[in-house]
Amino acid sequence: MDPTSLVLQTGLGDWEFVWRQRQFFVNGTILAVKLTFFSMVLGFALGLPAGVVEAYGGKYSKGVVRPLGVVVRGTPILVIISLTYFAGGISPAFTAATIALGVRSAAYQSQIFRGAIESVESGQMEAARAVGLSKLGAIRHVVLPQALRRSVPGFQNEFTIVLKDTSIAYAIGVAELLKRSYDLFSIQTTAALEVFLAASLIYFVLTFTVNRGIEQLHDYVAIPGGNH
Amino acid sequence: MTDPLLDVDDVYQSYGEESVLEGISFEMERQDVKVLVGPSGSGKSTMLRCINRLTDIDDGDIRLDGNSIFEMDANDLRRQVGMVFQDFNLFAHLTALENVTLGLKRVLDMGERKAVEKAAWQLEQVGLREQANSYPAELSGGQKQRVGIARALAMDPKLMLFDEPTSALDPELIGEVLSVMRELAEEGMTMLVVTHEMGFAKQAATDVLFLDEGKLVEQGPPEQIFENPEHDRTAAFLSRLTQLHGGQ
Repeated sequence: MDPTSLVLQTGLGDWEFVWRQRQFFVNGTILAVKLTFFSMVLGFALGLPAGVVEAYGGKYSKGVVRPLGVVVRGTPILVIISLTYFAGGISPAFTAATIALGVRSAAYQSQIFRGAIESVESGQMEAARAVGLSKLGAIRHVVLPQALRRSVPGFQNEFTIVLKDTSIAYAIGVAELLKRSYDLFSIQTTAALEVFLAASLIYFVLTFTVNRGIEQLHDYVAIPGGNH
Repeated sequence: MTDPLLDVDDVYQSYGEESVLEGISFEMERQDVKVLVGPSGSGKSTMLRCINRLTDIDDGDIRLDGNSIFEMDANDLRRQVGMVFQDFNLFAHLTALENVTLGLKRVLDMGERKAVEKAAWQLEQVGLREQANSYPAELSGGQKQRVGIARALAMDPKLMLFDEPTSALDPELIGEVLSVMRELAEEGMTMLVVTHEMGFAKQAATDVLFLDEGKLVEQGPPEQIFENPEHDRTAAFLSRLTQLHGGQ
């Protein structure tokens, strides 16, 4: 028998192994998607107000929000997730992972929104105030609708990063996609490449589809005649 | 005797060390159209911005209808004083109509249908019925500025401030904006206008105020200011301006 067919056979055998374990992958994928979704939602809920405070806040509110962001952004995610779970005593592990990833994402999202808000021409705020809108009213009805549109590219990046970083949750035993790949690999050590390729493919399909979806949304809400 | 509509009383203003306004005083009666002229950096725009409190003053007082504007809620004040900007500052994400309805709905608490009705009427007044559903980026400069005027007028202000409303426009688009402003003046709107358009000043102004280095050098009806100015500075500045921006 020539060597090529041998490799091919072995290869096929390992792909078969991956296929047999598909339910295991699907469950891991669902977990990764859930983790990403809830982390992004939490990151948005905290990151948007934080971004507004950084752009428009007073001395005191900025004085609290800014250093918090700096600290969170400067801490490795593995440390944040371990602290949340082991020191913070938050359980189950899925909740701890969501909070850790969500808070970390909030720290990054706040910068996406701050940048987008600051890119809206100051005349917009001025014109809104001149009509008689309060500062909050002007932010809500004039500045944010424009800033949110401009933050889509940064948000896409952040989504991709969070999705792939959900794998860090394995550190506290959350059986998401990558953790499961390790488990499978230890059952059938010859299938290492196949298992990890399969996991990568799933990550890729997820980021690709969601990014396409976000782009569609971006085009849908684009301001006619505008260039963003 | 009733109070003047606007009473600017010995106003001082500075940015840091740099003094911008040094004791400006003037009054405006209802239906007055006053044009502020002066070299760049003389404090004209700052003067306007003090009147709707986009800029704070250091000393003096400004009264609207006899009430100090510094004792009023800033949003209340701004609702009564319309402002038109050099760079239009239309809300980029809203159509022409929505630019006008935003203040009606969010500041005056008008219902959707009433707000749309009023905004549509206001846009028609400035000749933009067809453009109601266009976005700012789809409009010409002159059209944008007319939306800006409609947006301010819809709030039924007592006083309109114009901050160089035609300075950012191509020459061929200036006329349409000036003609809207002239109509407005004829209808009796009280207007304070910073402009270099001397033709507009001659035709529509009740008074011309000449500002230089933060001081009000002189003021008077256009005939007097243009033909018999008291100060040489005024004469020199106006003759240069008239050469550039026409007097017809």
